[in-house]
Amino acid sequence: MMRFGHIIITLAAVFIMCGLALAGTVRFPPPEFESGYELPDTTVPSPRSGIYDYIDTIVLLAALGLSSYLVLKKRSRRAIFVLVIFSLIYFGFWRKGCICPIGAIQNIVLSFFDSNYTVPIVVLIFFLSPLIFTLFFGRTFCAAVCPLGAIQDVVLLRPVSVPLWVESGLRLLAYIYLGAAVLFAATGSAFVICRYDPFVSFFRLSGNINLLIFGACFLIIGMFIGRPYCRFLCPYGILFRPLSRISKWHVTITPDDCIQCRLCEDSCPFGAIRKPTEHWPKEEYSRSKKRLVLLLVLLPVLIFAGGWAGSKLKTVASQMHPRVRLAERVRLEETGKVEGTTDASDAFIATGTETAELYDEASNIRARFGLGCLIFGGFIGLVIGLELISVSVWRQRRDYEADRASCLACGRCFEYCPREHNRRKKKSVLQETAIMKSAKTK
Amino acid sequence: MNFHIDNKQENLKTTERWQASAVSTAVVGTVFSFIILVLLVSNFIRATIVQDRREQELVEMKTAVYNRPDDEQLISQIRRMDLRFRQNLIRTRDFTRMGSYLLLATVVITLVGFKGMSTLRKKLPKPTPGIDRLKEQILNARYCRLAVTAGLVVLGLGALLLAVSPEVVFYDTRLVDISYPSAEQINHNWPRFRGPGGLGVSTYTNVPLDWDGRTGEGILWKRPVLLPGMNSPVVWEDRVFLSGADPNRQHVYCFDTVTGKLLWTGEVRIPPLKEGQEPLDIMNDTGYAAPTVTTDGRRVYAIFASGVVGCFDFDGNKVWEKDLGRPDNMYGHASSLAMYQNLLLIQYYQSAAEDGKSRFIALEGYSGRTAWQAKPPVGSAWASPIVIETENGYQLITCGNPWLVSLNPADGTELWRVDCLGADVAPSPIYANGLVFAIEPHMKTVAVRPDGRGDVTETHIAWKIDGGPDICSPVGNGEFIFLLATEGYLSCYKTEDGTRLWEKNLKDYFQASPSLVGDKLYLLSEEGVMFIVEAGSEFKELARNEIGEKCFASPAFTDGRIYLRSEKNLFCIGNPD
Repeated sequence: MMRFGHIIITLAAVFIMCGLALAGTVRFPPPEFESGYELPDTTVPSPRSGIYDYIDTIVLLAALGLSSYLVLKKRSRRAIFVLVIFSLIYFGFWRKGCICPIGAIQNIVLSFFDSNYTVPIVVLIFFLSPLIFTLFFGRTFCAAVCPLGAIQDVVLLRPVSVPLWVESGLRLLAYIYLGAAVLFAATGSAFVICRYDPFVSFFRLSGNINLLIFGACFLIIGMFIGRPYCRFLCPYGILFRPLSRISKWHVTITPDDCIQCRLCEDSCPFGAIRKPTEHWPKEEYSRSKKRLVLLLVLLPVLIFAGGWAGSKLKTVASQMHPRVRLAERVRLEETGKVEGTTDASDAFIATGTETAELYDEASNIRARFGLGCLIFGGFIGLVIGLELISVSVWRQRRDYEADRASCLACGRCFEYCPREHNRRKKKSVLQETAIMKSAKTK
Repeated sequence: MNFHIDNKQENLKTTERWQASAVSTAVVGTVFSFIILVLLVSNFIRATIVQDRREQELVEMKTAVYNRPDDEQLISQIRRMDLRFRQNLIRTRDFTRMGSYLLLATVVITLVGFKGMSTLRKKLPKPTPGIDRLKEQILNARYCRLAVTAGLVVLGLGALLLAVSPEVVFYDTRLVDISYPSAEQINHNWPRFRGPGGLGVSTYTNVPLDWDGRTGEGILWKRPVLLPGMNSPVVWEDRVFLSGADPNRQHVYCFDTVTGKLLWTGEVRIPPLKEGQEPLDIMNDTGYAAPTVTTDGRRVYAIFASGVVGCFDFDGNKVWEKDLGRPDNMYGHASSLAMYQNLLLIQYYQSAAEDGKSRFIALEGYSGRTAWQAKPPVGSAWASPIVIETENGYQLITCGNPWLVSLNPADGTELWRVDCLGADVAPSPIYANGLVFAIEPHMKTVAVRPDGRGDVTETHIAWKIDGGPDICSPVGNGEFIFLLATEGYLSCYKTEDGTRLWEKNLKDYFQASPSLVGDKLYLLSEEGVMFIVEAGSEFKELARNEIGEKCFASPAFTDGRIYLRSEKNLFCIGNPD
C-alpha cells in the first residue's frame, strides 16, 4: 500500500508539473485582424506596494524569533512543524519564494562588484538576519522559516539514513554551487540560485518544465532522504555552517545530561547526530598526525591547482553571461558554423550594433571570468583541502550531540530522549501543582 | 493500575482511529490524484499532438496564401481554422490550469494522509547492540576521506572535460593586426578594381604581349570559377581573389597564383527575406557579384548585390560579415570596394538623391566596425571610388548623381563637390596630371582641379568636353587620357586642355575598362580579344590576342603576368619562366 502510494505521489508530482508548465508557458501570437480592430495596449501590473516589504521583514524577524524560542526554549517539534507550515504558506506560496535570503547572497555580491547596483534595505535584512540569528541560536532559520526547507520537511515520509561519507562527498556540491553563484553574480551573468531554485515553480504554480521536473526530483528524493537540497546544495547553508559552529546557544538532543541510552542514535533524518567517540588509539594517532601534516602541506597545492584548473574554465563559465552567449551565437552564424538564426541574434542584428563591439564586450567579460574562475577554482581547492583536514581530525565527544554545523534544529530528536520526557513530565506536574495551588488560594 | 491500563487502551484505540482516517485520506487522495492525473495527461497529449498538427496546417495555409492572395476560399478557411485553433488552445489551457490546481489540492490531501500514517506508525527506536564504535569511527573517517578525494577527482575530470570543449573564437580587435600596407606594397600588387589607386595603371611593364586562349599558347593556367560574377580578379603576392554569386550563394574565391589551384572558397550569408520582401532579382548584365573585391594584404573583402560585406583572412577564415541592408538599386549594386590605410571604403549609393538613402561607409577592415559614414546628396551610381594623393593630402573621389564629391578618407568629411554628373554613372573617376576626371555617360567628360573647398562647380572645372563612355572607365598617363566607349570607339585627349588627338573604332564591344601598361594600352573586348595599342599621340595597334571566351571583367597585371576573368574561367597569362 505504502509503495503503491509513493508511486502514485511520484507520478502525480511529475505530471502536476507538466500541467503547471503547460499552463504557464502556452503563448500564441495575436490574431491578424483585417477588420481594423486595434489591439489594446499591453498593460504591465503595477509594482507591489512598498508596505509589503516591511511586513515581510517583520514576519521574517518574528518567525526567526519564534523559531529560536521553539527550538531552544519550548523544545516542541509539533510547534516547530506548525511554524514550518506557516513559513511554507507565507514565504513560499503567498510570497512566491521571493524574496528569499538564499537568493539575496547574489544581490549582495553584485552590489560589491557593480557600483550601479544598490541593494534594497529589505534584501539586506533578509540576507543578514538569518545569519545573525544563526550566530546566536544555531540554524533556527533552516528549522522552520526557510520555505525551501519547509517544503522538503513536509514531504519527508520515510527517511533513509545517508552514510557519513556520502554526505561528506555530496556536501562539496553546495560549496561549488555557492562559488558558482558568487562568480556569476559578481560578473553580472546570472542569479543562478534564483534561476535554478527547484521549488519556486511550485510556489508560483508556474514555471519552466525542466525546472519543475528538477524540483519534483528533489521532492521525490526528499520523501526518503531528508532535505536533500538543504544538505547537498544550499549555498546559504554553507554560510550557516561556520556561524552555527560558534553560535552562543545551540539546540541539544537532551535538555540536561546525556545518559547514553542510544535511543536518539537514528532519530535524525538529516544525519546530524554525532555519537560519542572512543579514545584515540596510539597507532592511529601517529598515522593521523602524519596524514594531517601531509594535508596541511597539500592545502596550498590544492588551492593553486584549483585556481589553475578554474582559470581554464573561463570560456565555458562565461557562457552563462547572456552577452557572451549572444556573441558566440552571432559569431557562429557569421562564420556559417550554424544554420539559421535565433530570436536573440535577429534582435541584435536589428539593433544595428556593430558585431565587433559585441565581440569586444564578450571578450572583456571572458577576461573578467578569467580572474573570477581562478578565484573560484582556488576556493574549491581550499574547501576540498579543509574538508580533508576536517575528516582527518580526531574529535573527542563524550555524549550524543547534534553536529553544530549540520543540525537543522528541526527538533525531531527531542522526543527520542528519555530525559526530555522527564522534563516534560516534571513541567506538567509543576503546572498542575501551580493550578491546584492557585485554585486553593481562590 | 486498572485506570492506567484503561487509559492506555483508550489511547491505542484513538491512535488506531486516527490511523484509519489517515489511511482513508491517503487512499481517497491517491484515487482522486490519479483520476485528475489521467485527465491532465490526456489533455496534455491532445494539446501537444493534435494542436501541433493543427498549428502546422495553419502555418502551411498561411504560407500558401502569400502565393494566392486572392483565394477567398483559402482565406476564409484560414479564418475558421485560426478561430478554432485559438478556442481549443484557450480551452486546453483553462483545463490544464484548473486540473493543476485540483491536482495540487489532492496531492496535498494525499500527502497529509501519508504523513499521518507515517507519524502514527512510528516505530520505537531499537539501537543495534554490540557495535564496535572505534572501528566504526576509523572506517567512517577513512570513507569520508575517500569520498572527498573521489569528489576531487570527479571535479578535476569534469573541469578537464569542460576545459577542452571547443571555444568560439571572437575576432578580438585588440589582438588583431591593424597595420596596413605601404604604398610600395600596394604598387607591387593589384589590390582592387583597376589595380593600385583604382587608376588602371600597372606598375609592371613586363607583361605578355602575345597569347592565344584557344591553343593555350602563353596561358599558364586556366581554372573554372564556380559562380558567375562581373567582378575583376585582384592579386596580392601569391593569391588571386575574386567573387561569384547567384540568387542562392555568395562566394569569395582564392586561387594560388603559381598553380592556379583553388585554395579556398569563402561563403557570405544571404540575409533571410524580411516579411513581405521579394527575393532579390538582379538583371543579368550586372549579376549578383558585380563589385570587385579588395585586399589590404592581410584580409580580403567582398560585397555583393544583397548588400552583405564579407571579410576573410588569407586562410579563408571568415573574420566578419556585415549586412548593410539590401540596396535600392535598379541595376543591382556594382561599385567596387576600395581601401584607405586600414579602412574599407564602400560606396553605397542607391535610389534617387532626394530619397537620402545613399551612404558612403568606411569600415575598420580588421573589425568591420563603422569608422565613419557620410551621406552625400546623390542618387544611385555604379562607379567605383578612388583614393588619390594630392598636394593637400589624400582625397576620396566618388561619383554619384549629380555630384562628383571629394571626401577626406580618414573621417568622411566633405572637401569639395562639383555638380557635373547625371543619371547612370558607371565609369569610375581617375586622377592624372593633377586633375580628377569624371564622366557622365554619353554626355560629358570633366576635368576638375582637386584643390577647392565646398561647391567648386563654378571655379574648379579645368575643362569639359562633350561625350564620354557609358561603362568603361578612362585611363590616363599624365599626358593623355584615353576613353573607350562600349561600341568600340577609342579616343585620346590631352589631359592638359581636353584637346582630342585621335579616335579609332576598334569594331568590337567593350565592358572591361582599359589598362595602361608602360606605354601600351590593354583593351579587352566582350569577345575576349585583347587589343594592345600604343598609348601615344597617334593610334597604333601593337597586337591582338584572343582568349576565346566572353569577357566583361577588367584584367589584373602583375610581374610578368595578366590575370583575366572570362565568363566562366580565370586565366593566368604569362611566360612560364
